[in-house]
Amino acid sequence: MPRIALILPDLLQRAGMAAVLERYFAPVEVEQFGTADDTLRENGLFDVYFTDCAVFTANVDFFLPRRSQCVILVPDGSAALPGTETPRVIATGGTLEELLDHIGKVLVPVRSAAETPSDELSAREVQVLQLVVSGAINKEIADRLNISLNTVLTHRKNIAAKLGIKTISGLTLYALMHGYVSTEDINT
Amino acid sequence: MFTFTDMALLTPDMPLSAALEQHPTLIPLVSRFGIRLGLGDKSVAAVCADHQIDARFMLTLMNTYLFEEYFPEQKLKSFHVSQLVDYLSKTNAYYLHYQLPNIERHLGSLIASGGAENRNLALLGKFFAGFKQSLTDSIDYDTRKWFPYCLALSAGEVEGRDRIAPTAPDTADDDPAVSQLRDMRSIMVRHLSGEYNDNLAYAVIFAVGSIERDIRQHNRIRNRILTPVIDALCRG
Repeated sequence: MPRIALILPDLLQRAGMAAVLERYFAPVEVEQFGTADDTLRENGLFDVYFTDCAVFTANVDFFLPRRSQCVILVPDGSAALPGTETPRVIATGGTLEELLDHIGKVLVPVRSAAETPSDELSAREVQVLQLVVSGAINKEIADRLNISLNTVLTHRKNIAAKLGIKTISGLTLYALMHGYVSTEDINT
Repeated sequence: MFTFTDMALLTPDMPLSAALEQHPTLIPLVSRFGIRLGLGDKSVAAVCADHQIDARFMLTLMNTYLFEEYFPEQKLKSFHVSQLVDYLSKTNAYYLHYQLPNIERHLGSLIASGGAENRNLALLGKFFAGFKQSLTDSIDYDTRKWFPYCLALSAGEVEGRDRIAPTAPDTADDDPAVSQLRDMRSIMVRHLSGEYNDNLAYAVIFAVGSIERDIRQHNRIRNRILTPVIDALCRG
């Protein structure tokens, strides 16, 4: 989920921006700052920083190294700097449709980069899945595949995330549907 | 926290009909209180007075149903155990007699729509049958043991030595029934293949989503209100 910092002194602008992001671009994690203070500086990595001209220029030391992740909000579009790619400039004086288009262009690449591109199970994960579904407990799976208990847990977590399935009965259904196991392999 | 919303909390002065028009998912909830359609423009308070229902209780349930993040714990804890148990029993009955058969009916048609060719649909049917069995078993336990015990305890009819404090509930997120339903929807959306009728698949997914949501609210009331109240009574 993209982590977004809003560094805007105006409370209403900040709250409005947070509301727009959460309503139209969920899931996002939005943190709000009135100034580019120490909390922001120490807060680690955000994917995108939304701010305004005044804050940006007053804190170039912080923003310049991160300019490819910065978006400057301006009241109207005519202030856009021609020829410069970053930091990006978004005009907030237009229609909601325009605003959403501009924000979308910033956020969509961030989001798709963060997601794992494939939901295909690896050969190892298929083995773990087959054992889970056949009723083996984690310890047995570790012994059978000669891997550590932690590795089994990691595989199980990845399988659940890739397939979007949490329960054993759900995994069983998936494994049967895809021919990874047959009905005879299942004890229950 | 500042969030946009299209919805506002429901209040006693608002016509119940307006609330139900805007949120049809509340219709089964109010029918658990014996309220039927044909409401005219009577306010929530007036309809409740006609039916001798505690309007505050029904409104609190309606609002917690609509707003998953809205959970007025103090208000809910002020209601009587018998009100809570009565409501939860009625939701259980609704699952057994209405929602489960409804899903089964759609699912049966969906399986038939794939002909004998689509083995995956039969597997889905089996998965749901397993879910239905486990839900039926836990409802059965509620009806025979847990709810009568809660009622007896709140009526002061259980001796100190016979009191059994409830085990800490799973968090709503880990509830096995909810997880299984979510898995079922997810498997259908991501992995359904072969021949089947699109509209029937949608009908099943919609019906599954609707019971899932209802069970989530049921669990919030059970785990965060009824269980702590019973726990306090056991210790008190």
